[in-house]
Amino acid sequence: MAANQTLTFQSSDGVDITVDRDVAERSLLIKNMLEDLGDAQEAIPIPNVNEAVLKKVIEWCSYHKNDPPSTGDDDDSRRKTTDIDEWDQKFMQVDQEMLFEIILAANYLDIKGLLDVGCKTVANMIKGKSPEEIRKTFNIQNDFTPEEEDQIRRENEWAEDR
Amino acid sequence: MEDNAELESFRRQWREEVAHRARPKQEPSQPSQKRRTSTARPSHFPPTHHEAFERKEEEDNAPVSFDQGEIVEGVGQLSLGVSDGNSLQAQEPPGEPESALEHFERAVEKEAEGSLGDSLQLYRKAYRLDSSVDKAYRHKHFAWAWKKPAQKPVPNAAAVAASTTLQSGQQSQDEPVALPVSELIASFAHCPIPQAEPIIEGDPLPPCPIANAPTDVLVEILKHVAVMDPASLVRMSLVCKRFAYHFAHEQHIWKRLCQGAEFGFKAMHYSFACDIFGLPEHTLASRYTPFPTDAPVQLPPPLSSWSDVFQVFPRIRFTGIYISTVNYTRPGAASSYQNVSWNSPIHIVTYYRYLRFYPDGSVISLLSTVEPLEVVPYISKENVLAARATSHKQHQRHASDTGNTLAGASDPIPSVAMGALKYANRGRWRLAKPFPSEGEEEDDMATDSLSDTFSMPVKIDDDPRDVIIETEGVGPKYRYLLYLSLRSSSAGKANAVNPAPSNPSKNTKLVWKGYWSYNKLTDDWAEFGLRNDRAFAFRRVRGWDMT
Repeated sequence: MAANQTLTFQSSDGVDITVDRDVAERSLLIKNMLEDLGDAQEAIPIPNVNEAVLKKVIEWCSYHKNDPPSTGDDDDSRRKTTDIDEWDQKFMQVDQEMLFEIILAANYLDIKGLLDVGCKTVANMIKGKSPEEIRKTFNIQNDFTPEEEDQIRRENEWAEDR
Repeated sequence: MEDNAELESFRRQWREEVAHRARPKQEPSQPSQKRRTSTARPSHFPPTHHEAFERKEEEDNAPVSFDQGEIVEGVGQLSLGVSDGNSLQAQEPPGEPESALEHFERAVEKEAEGSLGDSLQLYRKAYRLDSSVDKAYRHKHFAWAWKKPAQKPVPNAAAVAASTTLQSGQQSQDEPVALPVSELIASFAHCPIPQAEPIIEGDPLPPCPIANAPTDVLVEILKHVAVMDPASLVRMSLVCKRFAYHFAHEQHIWKRLCQGAEFGFKAMHYSFACDIFGLPEHTLASRYTPFPTDAPVQLPPPLSSWSDVFQVFPRIRFTGIYISTVNYTRPGAASSYQNVSWNSPIHIVTYYRYLRFYPDGSVISLLSTVEPLEVVPYISKENVLAARATSHKQHQRHASDTGNTLAGASDPIPSVAMGALKYANRGRWRLAKPFPSEGEEEDDMATDSLSDTFSMPVKIDDDPRDVIIETEGVGPKYRYLLYLSLRSSSAGKANAVNPAPSNPSKNTKLVWKGYWSYNKLTDDWAEFGLRNDRAFAFRRVRGWDMT
């Protein structure tokens, strides 16, 4: 592959960011695009992602650029599914809006590892909480009527103790 | 309840006696049919002789939902074996009893609900606090009998008890008829995640980024929650309509759970995976699993969804302890029940069987009189070994205090738990094959397995709910074989009646099918009597759940 070693991304708010190619290829979207189109000389627009988020995403990709590509998506033997490595935990210590923006960007750019870490972080915020606590955490309003809530509770009761 | 005829007649006798002594004429209107419902209005009887008589009744009520319970180390009251079936309805738990009388009253309530284990504990506490508590109780609740004969004896406590015991059957009849749950949930499909209102009117909305997440991201998050802790997923389903919909309809989450090793069937063993000391047995053949991830899998025939599979398919849980509470009574003096007088001694013996399963195929079986709260948090393979090590040392040294010195500095184990764990048996477990037709390769199963010996006292039939456990015995020449079977609690029976029946967890009970010891030297089987033994009930233990 006689590719040039850097690419330029343009964030949704119009900022150009230069990225090493191997870092950028953590994104399957970008990787596939480059394979389809050959080299991109111009800045690649990333329409859904603003500069701050894009920088975070690139930071993650740079740190993880040497990770082995993830194999099958539901390979549960890879490592303990609940674990998040220390660096990632620190990386994910951002406010909730940023967290979800990162997740959405990872989803859009198809970066499986980052999406996983993001979703796990959110799942950790949910784990062990009561419904009311979950609502508080995410600013969700309860849209059940009491009867509906009761119905759902009974219907799903069985799974409470796994 | 028929079994209580003796108790009933005794109670009637007692009441009449009291009544006669006070006012000969009082209360002819208390008809005995009403008395038949007396389990629902318990506070009238000083139940000094409850235990022996209530036993059967508890058995009937035993399988009522215990699933809500968790054993929390050092915190809260562990209700044993069975908790009251109303715990789900009675959302606000009454405060902890403090005085002897309060303990006694609570015990009476528990007894009326059929939770003998709980009530027994409370009675014991009450008597320990005040040996004449029954008198105090009589003064409080039966003073009317010799003071105000005309007063109707319907104190609030009794009324409450009556209504709660009926609740499970009747509760939802008063509710407005609602949509069937499945339709209701289906109607949630496109509900947006509602954002919370600001606390102060006029403020900007608090940020709710999760509301903007697309469905696939939401589902991804739900899947991670599920794999960490299915119970949290349930709570997610109660947050808002959208989550309830995904909970019910994202079958691949459930499929992933079923196939996974965290809570699913990948961790089930259908042949022994280790020897009875927990050392893994290596086989060349790959282990059987009903729903492999690397091959196309089908739903087992009667079930129509993966959430059903997760709910119904026989599954051992690793996140808690299986407890069987055994109460039995032994008359201390020769006396027939009819003539039981207040002071004839009856020994009430309570002991517990504990089973903790491990995903690696090993199991710990413990028979002890130590109460769950004191020992359960410490039941682990490591502690069993530690306890044995200490006991050896102490046999040599005749040291007096147990445990404390040896236990790791971080988490000292109470000596009472250590003392109990010394007698725990290590073992191994397996389930019967879920699909008997596939059992042809049985031959290459571990050959020293007891349950494969042709001298087995019973044939292990091919009920997929069966669980076979082999453990060490007392002394090296014995092995024990426990033959159990998974059952579900019976609280879900109301299905036909209620529009929104409760839907309790399945496979949380282990009933006995047999228990033998095997003498390796003489090739003899001997059966253990299980006259008093009860089914095991599963209870979660905090701290064992997160893998």
